[in-house]
Amino acid sequence: MTDNRLVGLILVFAPLSMLSFGGGQAVVADMQYQVVTVWGWLTGPQFNDLFAISRAAPGPASLIAALIGYQIAGVIGSIVACIAIFLPSSIILYFTANWWQNHPDSRLKRSFERALGPVAVGLLFAGALAIIQSMPMNPITWLNLALCTGVLYFTKFSPYKLVGIVAASFLVLSLSGLGSI
Amino acid sequence: MKKKEGASLPDRPIETPSLVQLLVVFLKIGFFSFGGGTRPMMHRETVENHPWVSEKDFLAGFAIAQVMPGANPVNLALYLGLRIRGAMGAAIAVFAMVGPAFLIIMAMGFAYRELTGFPATHFVLAGVAGAGVGATLATGAKVTLGLDRHWMTALIAITVFVAVGIFRISMVPVVIIAIPASLMVAWMTDKEARRDR
Repeated sequence: MTDNRLVGLILVFAPLSMLSFGGGQAVVADMQYQVVTVWGWLTGPQFNDLFAISRAAPGPASLIAALIGYQIAGVIGSIVACIAIFLPSSIILYFTANWWQNHPDSRLKRSFERALGPVAVGLLFAGALAIIQSMPMNPITWLNLALCTGVLYFTKFSPYKLVGIVAASFLVLSLSGLGSI
Repeated sequence: MKKKEGASLPDRPIETPSLVQLLVVFLKIGFFSFGGGTRPMMHRETVENHPWVSEKDFLAGFAIAQVMPGANPVNLALYLGLRIRGAMGAAIAVFAMVGPAFLIIMAMGFAYRELTGFPATHFVLAGVAGAGVGATLATGAKVTLGLDRHWMTALIAITVFVAVGIFRISMVPVVIIAIPASLMVAWMTDKEARRDR
């Protein structure tokens, strides 16, 4: 049972690692689809909880893989998931770094740098949509989403401070009985 | 160990630290660079405080880290470790960057399991998820503004979004098709090649 889950974690995360152009945020949509819909390891709201924790935590966004691994296969699962999400991309970089650096500026290199933008944009918005779709949608959560997006787009406010403020506000709302899911 | 391949020599000679020194410095970065300060801290530790990497190599590494798949800070650490001490250096740098963050997120994972019975937990996390999505949307909007104003570029971005976000097609085939397509568009619209013609 656990072994199957460990193999499953590798099958889900290793391909995403190799294709995570744009970093961890770009693979959220597919991760959610695989983990919730295809493999049925977590529910949509559970996935959203883990997404929230990964964004509140320091370090790369792709560490959500470790949380997912822990939820479905314990500490071993978290280690396996962590290796599966970081090792394949690291191996690719290891073998391409020297080539890329020692190669003079070429049309291929310039084109490659520009080619990633549109793909990353599509994946980023897909990830945002995936999380929004399993978020409890009420006036409070919508207002929160709009405010956070606006603050992070128009100001240089620290995302970590914003997360702290949002968490504190939601805790107060919840304890005072004004907000719940 | 590894010979430096950079063509131009920096102002001061490049030094090669021991693997232990490398581990200590990258653990320091892993522990204290939280909150988006990773790149300046890596620059300070490997170019300014210690003459391990030239400025030119650091900038090249930053470009590679962004272009290649994977998390940018982890990629940059791998590149710097590789420059400084070869394969072992790369492994040590990645381990030191991921390890501390892994321990912290696992502590939060334990706490989540303990607190999952309280409804307030899920309400607070719904708020935090909203902030996380806000960050993704803001990043997405900024990257969008930097894209080429070309209809084929827009078509690729929209197609990827619709395929993965709306039709929930697996990202693997979508990206495997979209990257070469996007590369072709970028190749055809390359400004310098046009100027040469």
